[in-house]
Amino acid sequence: MNHVVKTSGLTKQVKGKNLVTDINLHIRKGEIYGFLGQNGAGKTTIMKMLTGITKPTSGEIELFGQMLSERSKSVLKRVGSIIEYPILFEHLTALENLKLHCEYLGYYDEKGMKHALDMVHLRGIEDKKVKEFSLGMKQRLGLARAIVVKPELIILDEPTNGLDPIGIKDIRDLIFMLNKEYGITFLLSSHILGEIEQVANRIGVIKNGRLLNEVALEEIRKQHTDYIELLTTNAEKTVYLLEKELHISNMKIIQGNRIRIYDLSHTQNDISKLLIQNDIGLEEIQKHSSSLEDYFYKQINGGGMND
Amino acid sequence: MTKLIQMEWKKLNQKTVWMELLIYMLILIFFPAFFIKVAMPAFGQSYAAAIELNGFIQMGYVLFGGSLINHVFIEEYKNKTISLSFGYPISRQKLFTAKVLFIALFVFFATIITFILSGLTTYLLDQFFPIINGKPTTSDMLEFFSSMMIGSVLITLISFIPLFYFGIWKRAVVPAIICSIFIMQLPNFSLFFNVKPDVVVIILSILGAISIFLSIKTAESVGEI
Repeated sequence: MNHVVKTSGLTKQVKGKNLVTDINLHIRKGEIYGFLGQNGAGKTTIMKMLTGITKPTSGEIELFGQMLSERSKSVLKRVGSIIEYPILFEHLTALENLKLHCEYLGYYDEKGMKHALDMVHLRGIEDKKVKEFSLGMKQRLGLARAIVVKPELIILDEPTNGLDPIGIKDIRDLIFMLNKEYGITFLLSSHILGEIEQVANRIGVIKNGRLLNEVALEEIRKQHTDYIELLTTNAEKTVYLLEKELHISNMKIIQGNRIRIYDLSHTQNDISKLLIQNDIGLEEIQKHSSSLEDYFYKQINGGGMND
Repeated sequence: MTKLIQMEWKKLNQKTVWMELLIYMLILIFFPAFFIKVAMPAFGQSYAAAIELNGFIQMGYVLFGGSLINHVFIEEYKNKTISLSFGYPISRQKLFTAKVLFIALFVFFATIITFILSGLTTYLLDQFFPIINGKPTTSDMLEFFSSMMIGSVLITLISFIPLFYFGIWKRAVVPAIICSIFIMQLPNFSLFFNVKPDVVVIILSILGAISIFLSIKTAESVGEI
């Protein structure tokens, strides 16, 4: 497997307290990997270690097959990031911030910098000082800085923080575009599960500093079947009609007159019509889609480790 | 390394630093003549005495060094911009060495320039409003230049005393500045302790060098965010 990020036994301890413990993370080339975890679960700490900002107490980090250590940080040239919030030099302009970043990485391409500002819709204000920027603009500039040197891995901690709905969509589209067109691998975290669900291919669930599970979203969707739930006045007759008329067999009566249908070959409308035609009272009908949210809560509330 | 030192300068709020430097220069350039005229006319008995006085007055740059420690180290920790630097493919020891060299060069050259300007200003003022007895001799001139070179090196070293403990370990602005003020004044009070001022200056320089050594040596542990 071609892993861009691989950690083994990654642990960070501060003042005798473990912030993260024994993290074995695997991020494959070209994927968008989402970190899920409650506040304080350890997502940011892991990201800080992956970007060299803070050192692990124990364990190893491999980026692009190379060990990351204080003496061997050259691999960080291939990584762009925003951790916690975009940290910028407030007294410098947007362009000066980008130039400084590029100089540290030994990269100088003014066209590339302007292109990065274009991508995040910040063109025309490159000479404005960052202290005059709104939080959303700072977030965009942080993103421009993360992508300006064309990294192969981008690590974004809460990238949509402070953005309005249009900004959030822009960032999502930008992530998709960079992933598809340039093959950039992403590691994202967000406290909005729906955000991760829309973007990520694979997720890692973190609880109390431990990585509980790594799973592909496709896998979650397969494992967790969607269903239609209905409450009728006569459950037995409803089941009989559904089997006879609509040939639905994958269903069960879960409680009283409440039925769950797992065969989704017919729409809610078909079912409603059938029951009305046969004088069966329909008190409730609803389609349930099991989401990442369900999966996440299951994991957090007692999901097993996947070691 | 030169590039890293240049980048330290680019990261700074240059206007603030220039303004601070201008204020230090203006005070330290005119202070020797003012001091001889108003406070201690005894230093005006000869050019040799005035040169000795000038050497002590330039200790003011110890405080400027403290201010630079604040801008280059403490503010970077407080604003979290240091985490940006740690995310670059450069070792922390190298980053800290660049920061130390930047402060050292800035303090050293600022001290040299102010030494020259204060010497010239005091001499010119003496021509119009006599405050120093006699005229500067060749040996006075040699003494001035050697005091300038040695003094600038020692002042640069001394200015680093607050770096390790207050700058990197505690990351505390006010204690760092108070420490600089105390150190700057210490040679003036040396006679109270029956110690020659020069001995105090040498001890302080050694402490400054130790502070630099510890700062770079422990960059990965004490310097951790």
